[in-house]
Amino acid sequence: MKIVLDRPRCEGHGLCEEAAPELMHLDDDGELVLDREEIGDAEVPLASAAVRVCPVAALRLA
Amino acid sequence: MSTRIRRVVVVGNGVAGLTAADSLRASGFDGELTVVGDEPHAAYSRPALSKALLLDGAGAAHELPPATHGATELLGVRARGLDLERRLVTLGDGTELPYDRLVIATGARARRLSGLPEEHTLRGLDDALALRDRLAASPSVVVAGGGPLGMEIASACLAAGCEVTLVSQGVPLIGHLGPYLAGVFGEAARERGLTVVETGAARVERDAGGVRVVLDDGAVVEAELLVSAAGDVPNTEWLAGTGLAAGGVVRVDARGLARPGVAAAGDLAAFPTPYGPRRVPLWNSAVEQAKVAAAALVRGDGAPPLRFQPYFWTEQFGLSLKAVGYLPVDGEPEHLEPGLMRWSRAGVAVALNHRIPIPRLRRAAA
Repeated sequence: MKIVLDRPRCEGHGLCEEAAPELMHLDDDGELVLDREEIGDAEVPLASAAVRVCPVAALRLA
Repeated sequence: MSTRIRRVVVVGNGVAGLTAADSLRASGFDGELTVVGDEPHAAYSRPALSKALLLDGAGAAHELPPATHGATELLGVRARGLDLERRLVTLGDGTELPYDRLVIATGARARRLSGLPEEHTLRGLDDALALRDRLAASPSVVVAGGGPLGMEIASACLAAGCEVTLVSQGVPLIGHLGPYLAGVFGEAARERGLTVVETGAARVERDAGGVRVVLDDGAVVEAELLVSAAGDVPNTEWLAGTGLAAGGVVRVDARGLARPGVAAAGDLAAFPTPYGPRRVPLWNSAVEQAKVAAAALVRGDGAPPLRFQPYFWTEQFGLSLKAVGYLPVDGEPEHLEPGLMRWSRAGVAVALNHRIPIPRLRRAAA
């Protein structure tokens, strides 16, 4: 699966980084960077947690 | 253990209920899952209702990705009763839902100051859409309530071109954020044209001309539109007779359990905090509580307890605030860099108009 970022929606809260630091982080400017976009089955729960915690739905799995 | 759980009922389809349902699946529960929601809508982001949604005429800032938990969703119906002994939830339409495990996530509703239909509140999606429609005509507005929600509503009303008076018990935001931040926001609000009226207790009443707010000294504030934001009331009436909702909240342990096999999460749950059992009605609180509770229902004592740190944000009057730690906070902050401050003894850090990852903000607070 793939993590998809809708950048205009992202407000830089960074709750996703807190949920899945292995997959994404906010850079020094507060912009979200997806360190991994393609993920395997084992990482789906982690990625799902990041998607769920975003209060502005800037992330989704495709 | 999960093989013995056949049916789980999640009552509530806010972010707590949604996250609980997701997390049940993530924890390995593959049985029959039912989610009950009193609103006819799919779960949405409540924080967005008083922020982007009010400001953006056509936007869908509140929409969340579709649920993937595969539950049977019963929407537009509320729970009426719970029988713990028979393990049965009864819905308003008479449906009886048996369960092996239960998640109580019915949240809270707006506390109203009157029974008058002219008193608008902002709690659910329909409230927000109705308010947004009213603001299109730029009516004069009185907002009753000086907490974060009342201030966000006032800010959105000003942005919509309305003349806005905010009636507040004491200085707006002081009870939520503390004097320093309340001062920062109060100044920004007044600069943008907000009229603030401080009072003790206020009441809402109707006269020939419409509804009005009557202050403690008898003075009257009138406007074409009245919106109150006077706090919330947990939705626990359906738990009457179960002993679960003493004091109007559902007390849970560190794993979100109110009883063996019965979890509660979200705005109605009081969980152990460093300040004693508390409700923490915030977005990340609901999400974290729900994850822990779902894991506890499936995995039992092996599931980890809640390790929760509040995260609060608000957008109003041109200011964007992000805060970690328990608010309100007293005294002056230490300024770490432009837009970043902390109160180290209280374990609070705040970013003001400053994009910063939460993990960094948490490190600053520590």
